[in-house]
Amino acid sequence: MRTWKRVSAYFFVLPCLALFGVFLFYPFAKTIYLSLYKTNNLGQAQIYVGLDNYREVLQSASFHNSLKVTLIFVFIVVLVSMLMGLFNALLCQKSFPGIRFFSTAYALPMSIASASAAMIFRLMLDPTIGIVNKLLGLNISWIQNPHYALLSVALLTAWLNSGINFLYFSAGLTTIDETLYERASVDGANEWQKLFRITLPSLRPILFYTLVVNIILAFQSFGQVKILTSGGPGESTNLIVFSIYRNAFFNFRFGTAATESVILFFIIFILTLLMFRSENKNNSPKKESK
Amino acid sequence: MKNKFLSLLSAVLVIVLGLTLCSVAPVAAEEAKTEIVFWHSMGGVNGEAIDALVKKYNEENDKNIHVTTEFQGSYDDAINKLKSASIGNMAADLVQVYDIGTRFMIDSGWVIPMQDLIDRYEYDVSQIEPNIAAYYTVDKKLYSMPFNSSTPILYYNKDILDKAGIKEAPKSFAEIASTAKDLCEKGGAGEPISLSIYGWFFEQFLCKQGLDYVDNGNGREGKASKVVFDENGGALNILKAWKDLHDQGYAPVVGRVDAGIADFVAGKSAFTIASTASLKEILENVDKRFEVGTAYLPSVTDKTDGGVSIGGASLWALNNEDEAKEKAVWDFISFLISPASQAYWNAQTGYFPITVKAHEEDVFKENIKEFPQFMTAIDQLHDSSPESQGALISVFPEARQIIEGEIENMLNNNIDPEKVLNTMAEKINKAIEEYNLLNK
Repeated sequence: MRTWKRVSAYFFVLPCLALFGVFLFYPFAKTIYLSLYKTNNLGQAQIYVGLDNYREVLQSASFHNSLKVTLIFVFIVVLVSMLMGLFNALLCQKSFPGIRFFSTAYALPMSIASASAAMIFRLMLDPTIGIVNKLLGLNISWIQNPHYALLSVALLTAWLNSGINFLYFSAGLTTIDETLYERASVDGANEWQKLFRITLPSLRPILFYTLVVNIILAFQSFGQVKILTSGGPGESTNLIVFSIYRNAFFNFRFGTAATESVILFFIIFILTLLMFRSENKNNSPKKESK
Repeated sequence: MKNKFLSLLSAVLVIVLGLTLCSVAPVAAEEAKTEIVFWHSMGGVNGEAIDALVKKYNEENDKNIHVTTEFQGSYDDAINKLKSASIGNMAADLVQVYDIGTRFMIDSGWVIPMQDLIDRYEYDVSQIEPNIAAYYTVDKKLYSMPFNSSTPILYYNKDILDKAGIKEAPKSFAEIASTAKDLCEKGGAGEPISLSIYGWFFEQFLCKQGLDYVDNGNGREGKASKVVFDENGGALNILKAWKDLHDQGYAPVVGRVDAGIADFVAGKSAFTIASTASLKEILENVDKRFEVGTAYLPSVTDKTDGGVSIGGASLWALNNEDEAKEKAVWDFISFLISPASQAYWNAQTGYFPITVKAHEEDVFKENIKEFPQFMTAIDQLHDSSPESQGALISVFPEARQIIEGEIENMLNNNIDPEKVLNTMAEKINKAIEEYNLLNK
């Protein structure tokens, strides 16, 4: 009975493992395999080139541009969407009449598909008939001008991601002990002090988690780029993920696309690793004092 | 514990088996019926027109053929989905592929050349518009059946032109520039022309000069090995004329493909260039706020006698090694290209009727009476020679992206046309070279 119990445990993991195998491990292995080959128009490996694809990609001006654009994009998206989520969550921290309406409104972007949001923004950002220019009294081609295109797409993405951040932060805020605030009030702390001494430190673990998730999410943004700018004008919004899509399904160069995917994987992997390390470092002195 | 596990396993098995049986059963029941699958990429109004045609065919044909349409998203998506199939087991029997996928489809080896079906079932090819058939004819073989074909034309706001005192639509970029001041000052236009950045227009401006895009007879006598638009000077004419117009402030950057239509419909621009297939949409959206005129595609040089080539898509019969299906596919195609169907298709969408006889149908005549602007498109096509049929390149989708991106760079960052031309040629040549190396 005992050995069976042990063996049977593996059976329970099996379905999950099979799913992971089919949808994650196999494609991942195949991607690495393809990145070592030049492929024909059906995506079949044709000529083994070793690390040539990597050399080519890492040296190409287009990829350097994608890298630069992606980093700027991720920076804007993470910063704005986290600030937005945090700010909105703080607004909804205390109960007031109509709070349900506001918290629904702030969480709403979470449930909007990036594609449909992009379609609506395309209309709103139109230089001639769009409402953004009408309201601001400006005459800017938001998506056609290389100086604004990246910013426009980044802000749209930030807004889309702010919904889930609002949810995380709201959940985090409810875990803070109410008596902490009461005691601080007795000690004569003002609202700013409460925010910086109680609220933010208490949110630390969730802040870290949200940061990691946001960075990964931002790196993977695709739909809004495809619909709003298709990587243009020029290559000013050609994010790495979009460049992968274009190489694989447009230019028939699956080998190059696979190479870019592997590079993107390592970028996110290393970033996440670094963040976890710095988080552990910051935590360790506390543990010692206990 | 053991029992529980076994019962769970058997439950799963039963469900899986049940599902497989369910999906097999209905097919076996209707053996006599020939079922064919038609993939298309027509959304919106055009998709409704296809559905109406197919519904009519399914109800009226007496050969017990049933056509199922499957909308596959964009043209790119449809080609990508085809790639995962294999000969004798294609997911579709008939598929609509865009003009620039022609070389890819011929090279794929998946297709039954349309000429084979035409010969086998003795169809009179002379019924098809020669200038349209020419595009899809390679090595004197018609590879696919033209279905939705269009050309670019110049749309103008007649109210603005009248106010500016301009009698005739411009024939060249230089003429647009010379009237631009009047259009803005007297005519009240916000911008003379909202010119979308579209690789297709670049190709057409080359065609209009009577020049080739690539070598080997524009990719028609054999696989293209490099671009020639840099050597023959055609591309430089286009880039210079485009940049001139832009630098003078007459053609601001409005976006890609069909982005220029919005400004025109809003009454801001006096001109725009767009496909004939957009005519209906433009007329509907303008909604008689001003009068819409149409004219031939303007030329980038003073030489205005060259023609245009068609764009759009055609129907490809896929080789499923099934004679009954092949017969059914041909029957369905001959329904789609019948004068009645084509007249209906033209009236609903604004694509050309591909059969000459469709011009005699009442539906067609009424449509022309209601939208006389459409005649421009047909005249322009008839005035072009079958020689200006456009290039065939395997990497066309990528080439278009490169052209569009580089034109944007040139206009936005004020780069020299010569320099832009070199980058374009270099990038496209590299893509062609790599493609030819990997796909033999």
